[in-house]
Amino acid sequence: MRKLLSFLLVLSILVFAAACSGNNETSGGSGAEGETVKLTAWAWNVNVGALDAAAEKFKEENPNVELKVEDMGRLDVYDRLSTGLAAGGAGLPDIVLVEDDRIQGYVEAFPNGFLNLSEQGFDSHAESFPPFKNELASLNGDFYAMPFDAGPGGMFYRRDIFEKAGVDPEEIETWDQFLEAGKTIKEATGVAAMPLDMFSDDPTFRMMLNQLGVYYFDEVGNIDLTNPKAVQAMETLKAFADADLIRNVDGWNGIVSSTIDGSVATIPFGAWYFGTIIDQASDSAGDWGVFELPAFEEGGNRASNLGGSSWMIPQASDHAEVAYEFMEFFSTSDDVQLIAMEEYGLFPSLSTVYDSDAFTAEVEFFGGQQIWQVFADQMSDVPTAYYTNDYSIGLDEAIKAQADVFNGKDIKEALEESAKRLSDRTGRDVNTY
Amino acid sequence: MKSNAVIGQQEKVVVNRKKMKKQDIVPYLFIAPAVILFAIFMAYPIIASFILSFQTSQGGEMVFNGIANYQRLISDQIFLKALGNTFLFLAIQVPIMLSLAIILSTCLNSALVKLKGIFRVSFFLPAVTSLVAYSIIFSVMLMEEGVINQVITSLGADRIPWLSHPTWAKVALITAITWRWVGYNMVIYLAALQNIPEELYEAASMDGASKIRQFFSITVPQLKPVILFTAVLSTIGTLQLFDEPFTLTGGGPSDSTLTIGMYLYQTGFRYFDFGYASAVAYVIVVLIGIMTFIQFKVTGDK
Repeated sequence: MRKLLSFLLVLSILVFAAACSGNNETSGGSGAEGETVKLTAWAWNVNVGALDAAAEKFKEENPNVELKVEDMGRLDVYDRLSTGLAAGGAGLPDIVLVEDDRIQGYVEAFPNGFLNLSEQGFDSHAESFPPFKNELASLNGDFYAMPFDAGPGGMFYRRDIFEKAGVDPEEIETWDQFLEAGKTIKEATGVAAMPLDMFSDDPTFRMMLNQLGVYYFDEVGNIDLTNPKAVQAMETLKAFADADLIRNVDGWNGIVSSTIDGSVATIPFGAWYFGTIIDQASDSAGDWGVFELPAFEEGGNRASNLGGSSWMIPQASDHAEVAYEFMEFFSTSDDVQLIAMEEYGLFPSLSTVYDSDAFTAEVEFFGGQQIWQVFADQMSDVPTAYYTNDYSIGLDEAIKAQADVFNGKDIKEALEESAKRLSDRTGRDVNTY
Repeated sequence: MKSNAVIGQQEKVVVNRKKMKKQDIVPYLFIAPAVILFAIFMAYPIIASFILSFQTSQGGEMVFNGIANYQRLISDQIFLKALGNTFLFLAIQVPIMLSLAIILSTCLNSALVKLKGIFRVSFFLPAVTSLVAYSIIFSVMLMEEGVINQVITSLGADRIPWLSHPTWAKVALITAITWRWVGYNMVIYLAALQNIPEELYEAASMDGASKIRQFFSITVPQLKPVILFTAVLSTIGTLQLFDEPFTLTGGGPSDSTLTIGMYLYQTGFRYFDFGYASAVAYVIVVLIGIMTFIQFKVTGDK
C-alpha cells in the first residue's frame, strides 16, 4: 500500500513537472500572407519608444505585422533571456535588445539560441556599420545581432565652469593637459574634474582601455589587464584621484546628481549620456559642451566607445522571418535611426545617416555646438573591445583592481592580482609582458 | 442453502476487507495536500539543486561533471575570502549583538525603568523595517558626504571612508546589522526573562548578591536555552547574510564585504553558473549543520 502511494505521489509530481516545463509552442501559425503576425519584443528604457515608432512606419508597408514591445528593466531582460535560452527557447520573444558587451557571451553559451543573420543575408549591410560594431555583433564571421546604437565617447563639460577658471577646452589634447586643466579648475572654482563611483564601477577606465586599443581581454581571448597600456590607463586615473580631482559618487544616481548640481566640470561618458543631460539638467541649458576624450600622447587616438546595444532574434521565434524583415528595416532605415537619435538620444551606428542634416545641426542645449559631428567623426576610428563570454567576470575583477589602486595598492601589482584571479575563475591565460 | 449462506458470508468478508482498504487510504488523502505541496515546493527544489551541484553548463545544456564543482571551491580564492568574511562577521557581530540584546532586555525588565513600552517599541522598531530599505538608508548616511561624515567633520575629525575602505566597510556592515537585529533578539530575551522566578532574585538579594552578580549567576544561566536558540538563529542568519552587503557595499571594495550568500547569488545570477552556485549553496547547508551541532555541544545540554 505504502509503496503504491509513494509511487503515485512521485508519478503525480512528474506529471506536474512535465506539464510545467516545455509545451510553449501554442502560439502557432506561420506568417502566411494576409494573416496578422504578432511580434513580441523585449527592450528597456528609451529603446522601447524607438522600436514602437519604427513599428508604426513598418506597418505602412506591412499592415499585417503588429508589434508588442514589453518594456522591462535591462537586467530583467537578461534574467528572462538566460532562463528562456537555458530552457531551450521557452517563452522567448521574437526580438530582444542586448548590449554589445553581452552578445558574444550569449552566442558562445547558446550556439543554437539565436538566428544566424548572415544566413538571412545581413552581410550585405555590413559596410553600413563601423568595423568595431560589426565585430561585436558577429561570431566567427557570422552576424547574430543587428547593430543599433553606439556610445562614442565624449567629455561632456560645463562651459560656465571652464570659463570661470579660464580654461579653454579646445586646447586640451592629452590626459596630462586635462590633469593640469583640472587642477586649475579646482583651484578657481572648487569643482572636481569628473565623477566616478570609485569602488564599484570603472567606465572611465574602460573608455581609456578602448582608446588605447586594449581591453580586459585581447583578440584571442587571453587576459590582457597586465598590458602596459592598461597600467598606463590606471596610472592616469590614479593621478586624477591623487590630485583630488575625482568626485566619488554613489552609482548611476550619484553621477546624475553631480551632473545636475555642477559639482563636476566634465563627465566622461558615451554619447547616450546626452539624453540624460538634457532631461535632468535642464536648468543649465546652454552651458554644456562636448570634446573628445584627451589622447594619451599628443596626436594619439581620441576615439573610444562606451556601451551601445544591438538586436537579436531568438531561434525559437515562430515568426523569425518576419522579425528579421522588421529588424532589417529598423536597423538600415535612415529615417528610423534619425527618429531614435533626435527623439530618444540613441546615437546610431548606421553610418549612412551621418550625412544627414541632423548631424551638422547646432544644438542649443550645448551652446550651439555641432555635437553630433564630434561623435560621428569618431565612429570609424573606434578600436574593437574584446568582451568575450567572461566579460562580466572581467568587469568584476577590473573594478576590484581599481578599488585596490584607489586604496593605495601598487598599480601593477593590483592589475596582476586581478588578472591572476580572473585566470583562476575563467581558465583563460594571462598575457605576460 | 447452507452452502449459499457460506458463500454469502464469504462475500461479506470480502466486502468488509475492501471497506477496510478504503478506510486505509483516508488518512493519506487528508495529508496529501500538504505532502504534495511539500514535494513540489520543498523536496523537488532541494533534490534538483543537489543534482545541479554536480553539473555544469556546456553549450546551454547541463552535463554531469562529478565533484568538479566542489573541487573548484577548495581552490577558489574568492570563495575562501567570502567564507573568511562571513566567519569574521559571525565571530564579531553575533556576540556583540547578543550581549547588547541581553543587557537591554535586563534593563527594560527592571522595575526602575519608566516608559517601558516606548523603549521596547523603539528598540524593536528596526526589526520590522525592510532589509533593503534600511540598508539603502544606511548607505546614504554613510556616503562620503553623508550625514555621519558631516557630523564627524564638523567635530574637526577627518572623513571616514565608511563604504570604500576594506576595514571600515566591515565596521559599517556590522553596525548596520547590529542595529537591525538587536531589538529582535531583545524581545525574545524579554519573553524569557518573564519566566525566571522572582524568588531566585529575592533569595539572592537576601544573601547579599549584587545586581551584577545576580545577572551573571541567575539571569544568564536561566536564559541559557534561549541564548542557545538565538545564537543558532543568528548563526544561520549570518551564514546566509545577503541583503545588507548587497545594498550597502555591493560586496566591495574589492570583495572585502563579500559573504557566501552574495557569492552564491553572483555565481548563479550574474555569471549564470548554476551548477557551481548550487555547490556553494550545499556548502552553506553543511556549514550551518556543523555550526549548530557545535553550539549544541558547547552549551552542553542533552
